[in-house]
Amino acid sequence: MKSTIKAALAGLVTSTAMLTAAQAEDIKVGILLPYSGVYAALGQDIDDAFALGLETYGTDSGVTFEIVREDTEVKPPVGLAKTKKLILQDEVDVMVGVVSSGVLGAIRDTVDGAGVPLIVANAGNDEATGEACSPYITRISFSNQQVNRPMGQWMVDQGVKKVFTIAPDYAAGRQMIDAFTTAFTAAGGEVVGQEWPAFQKTQDFGPFLANAKASGADAVYVFFAGGEAISFVKQYDSFGMKAEMPLYGSGFLTSALYVEAQGPAAEGVITALHYVPTLDNPENAAFVAAFKAKTGRIPSEYAVQGYDSARALVEAVKAGATDRATLATALPKVAFTGPRGDLKMDPATNNVVQPIHVYETVAGPDGLTQKVLATLPAEADPVNGCAMPAATN
Amino acid sequence: MTADLGFWVLQMLNALQLSMLLFLLSVGLTVIFGLMHFVNLAHGSLYAFGAYVAASLAGVLGYWGGFFLAPLAVAAMGAALYFTLIRSQRRAGPMAQVLITFGLIFVAVDATRLVWGDLPIGIAVPAVFEGQLSLLGVEYPIYRLFIITLGLAVLGVLTLILSRTQIGAMIRAGVDNDQMAACLGINVERMFFLVFVVGCALAGLAGAVAAPVLSVTPDMGLQILIPTLIVIVIGGLGSLKGAVAGSLIFGFVQTFGAVLLPTLSSVLIYALLAAVLVARPQGLLPAKG
Amino acid sequence: MFQHTPLRLTTLALLAAGSLAYTFAAGFFGLEILAEIAILAILVIALDLVAGFGGMVSLCHGALLGVGAYAFTVAATEAGLSAAPAMALAIALSAALAFAIGAVCARSTGIYFIMATLAFGQMGYSFVFQSPLFGGDDGLAGAPRPDLGAIGIDLTDSRAFAIYAILLVAVTYLVAAATLRSGLGRSLVGLHHNEKRLRALGLTVWRAKATAFAISGALAGLAGCLAAQHTQYISPGLLSWTVSGEALVVVILGGLGTLVGPILGAILFVVLKHEISALTPYWHAIVGLILIAVVMSRANGVVGFVEARLATRKPQPLVKEAKADA
Repeated sequence: MKSTIKAALAGLVTSTAMLTAAQAEDIKVGILLPYSGVYAALGQDIDDAFALGLETYGTDSGVTFEIVREDTEVKPPVGLAKTKKLILQDEVDVMVGVVSSGVLGAIRDTVDGAGVPLIVANAGNDEATGEACSPYITRISFSNQQVNRPMGQWMVDQGVKKVFTIAPDYAAGRQMIDAFTTAFTAAGGEVVGQEWPAFQKTQDFGPFLANAKASGADAVYVFFAGGEAISFVKQYDSFGMKAEMPLYGSGFLTSALYVEAQGPAAEGVITALHYVPTLDNPENAAFVAAFKAKTGRIPSEYAVQGYDSARALVEAVKAGATDRATLATALPKVAFTGPRGDLKMDPATNNVVQPIHVYETVAGPDGLTQKVLATLPAEADPVNGCAMPAATN
Repeated sequence: MTADLGFWVLQMLNALQLSMLLFLLSVGLTVIFGLMHFVNLAHGSLYAFGAYVAASLAGVLGYWGGFFLAPLAVAAMGAALYFTLIRSQRRAGPMAQVLITFGLIFVAVDATRLVWGDLPIGIAVPAVFEGQLSLLGVEYPIYRLFIITLGLAVLGVLTLILSRTQIGAMIRAGVDNDQMAACLGINVERMFFLVFVVGCALAGLAGAVAAPVLSVTPDMGLQILIPTLIVIVIGGLGSLKGAVAGSLIFGFVQTFGAVLLPTLSSVLIYALLAAVLVARPQGLLPAKG
Repeated sequence: MFQHTPLRLTTLALLAAGSLAYTFAAGFFGLEILAEIAILAILVIALDLVAGFGGMVSLCHGALLGVGAYAFTVAATEAGLSAAPAMALAIALSAALAFAIGAVCARSTGIYFIMATLAFGQMGYSFVFQSPLFGGDDGLAGAPRPDLGAIGIDLTDSRAFAIYAILLVAVTYLVAAATLRSGLGRSLVGLHHNEKRLRALGLTVWRAKATAFAISGALAGLAGCLAAQHTQYISPGLLSWTVSGEALVVVILGGLGTLVGPILGAILFVVLKHEISALTPYWHAIVGLILIAVVMSRANGVVGFVEARLATRKPQPLVKEAKADA
């Protein structure tokens, strides 16, 4: 028995070691995404779109991209173990992915210490491009504060004076809501109450909705994602609150990924996000058509993040980057016009600078769709304690 | 805001609604345990299966198609499980049962991912139950009132069956002492099968009823499992009254805990369970004295 | 009753020799897997001690491991303790909590015991998950590895760490075996067989159960410290009841009440998990099917299966037989 297991272990090690030896002149990309667990659907969207992005932009780049995929299972320790594997054993040149902020927090020091560039394709925790920023971490997706802050001023401009906020009780939920409330109160609004339901433990939001209803607010501002977003939007509607207290929020609430499951309950909900599939520009039209042809789905914000991650990687390679060190210097310098509009990196934090779109979910000819109400100008995040050192390897 | 009477009515209804949903789930589990001494950790997976079937059928046959067919589908699934796994493990002791049904959870979660994908599914509330009803000065969603009514109706029917019919008397005899019941000429095996399948059907019904309120996700069965187990352990395994008491306690502690003591809410229910087990290791209203 | 049969001793010797030899042959990922196996092995030995010999089937051992991991990390990062005292503190805390749980649950048996431990485990999980002090859902970074620089060992090296982990498994095994051979161990086994008789003999039942549970909890806490040192990042998922469930699966897979079996189970489980998860993201389903098959076979895991087959034949080619069954 022992020898069989040892043989199995040895087989595992040699097969991956052989992969490592192959074609050192190519760019080896390690993908770190959840392929199982609660965010598996997000991981799939990013993965599909990343592949599409490499096909679209990478074919004439002169290099071949070799992909190694690892499943983080949305567990920070697992993500860290897989990161170490990609860096030490697979010896990848660059890593792409990370959906959960928890995983990003866990792998930050390892990535920074090893000097392997990481393109963050989702995780939005503010620290990653704030006090914990690193020359090796470039975020192409968004930061939690970035997608929520602009709504503060905008809602006051629309005449909303008093809001009640609800978000799950975890770091991302707190950051999203805090960024909004800070901007909202600075613009003259008032937060009349807040609820923080237990994260991933709450399926019935009825008790919190009753509190919101009793608060006398003009509107409710929330952040939820995934299954919780679906339950929340439906339950909000079922209590008949949409008419008297319009529902606003961070745009993940009514993401294109989930809006079909929400059905008519999502109609009229106004949220803000860095991407919606109905953006009217030629790059987006091409992207939506190509993604639909490849997967049969409408691309979500997660998909565009995967697509732009591939684009950013190819742009860095076209600028002459060939290995960990050169990729790390080239990635924060990329700028291009993609489906989201004009993107560039903020050299102070390595976070993306992008416009934010306020949209309303409306009924369209083929089900629910997104009507863009306003596009708020791109604005770099405050530096938040980031003192960006130069890449040293 | 907490001084407002309407607020309390609203939260009472919320608590009642949660209690009734848990009751539908726990009553099957607890009677199966009382009668067969079988611990089915996969009961939550049957609930998830019911929700998925209902959500899929809602697109084809409308909500009511799913509502009536999901319990049947889950009952059929339960019958299949009974003949393949449950029957042979009936006397294998709680450990083997916990492990086999724990393995079933793994299989069930991945099977739903394979069939229905990772994306959550949602279905609409049936047209008749859309909107709100004015009740004691508050506007409350009709569909939630429907859940409460349904739970109470199931409770009434089960009470009647158990206390007034011959099959009910047989089940009570079986819970009390299954060997003695067998000696008296009761076909215990057939009764076990019947109770197991009905318990599964009720789990499927709970899934179908929950689908329009919650989102249907692969891990919903795992999420509901712990609350269901808490309900039946607090109430006392094997008794209908225990399932009712446990559901109400859980529903009210959870709802009012979340509103009044948000920082403690998630620990509260476990602390209560521990307290019950210390004071009464067999639960509050066990089937046997 | 706990016994060291020739088969079990041979297996132990082979395991020790094989794992040490492997540490020198393995690459980075092999060593990571080895450390992962060692952590799981410590946890399942702890669980087998109470579940296999005392009939106390616990669903809170994952939480006890988690408490050890969090206590170690917080003691090391917040209180600034060095690794050794932080470990001692973490193990003591896990043991104390386990003693309390064992004392409270001593009156419950069977499914009630399982549910009661589940409740305590979930209580710990919810507490850690919600408490901002512990980083909530995101978890905590910065658990240090012990500094053995004084004797020329650098534990940041994967190979040294794997050897250190294997040595801790050996220590755990010895503690568990010594416990079972002691008066307490015999009382525990006796309690499992006939509680009334031991009560009549004047044993304070709750104290014996709680003490055994505390020793098991201390070992689970040790596994937690090692887990924190291994990944140097911990999250509330460590305390989840599914970790306890998986540990129980491993004990059953290897052979309940054999101590050696669970170690084999840990090797099988981790290797299977990595092999299958490399092939398909649906590896949980396959592990679930294997589990069902093992339990349905009514064999007491791998070790029980081999022993049962050997008992019906001449017990001659011990080692060969074991290989053939893998």
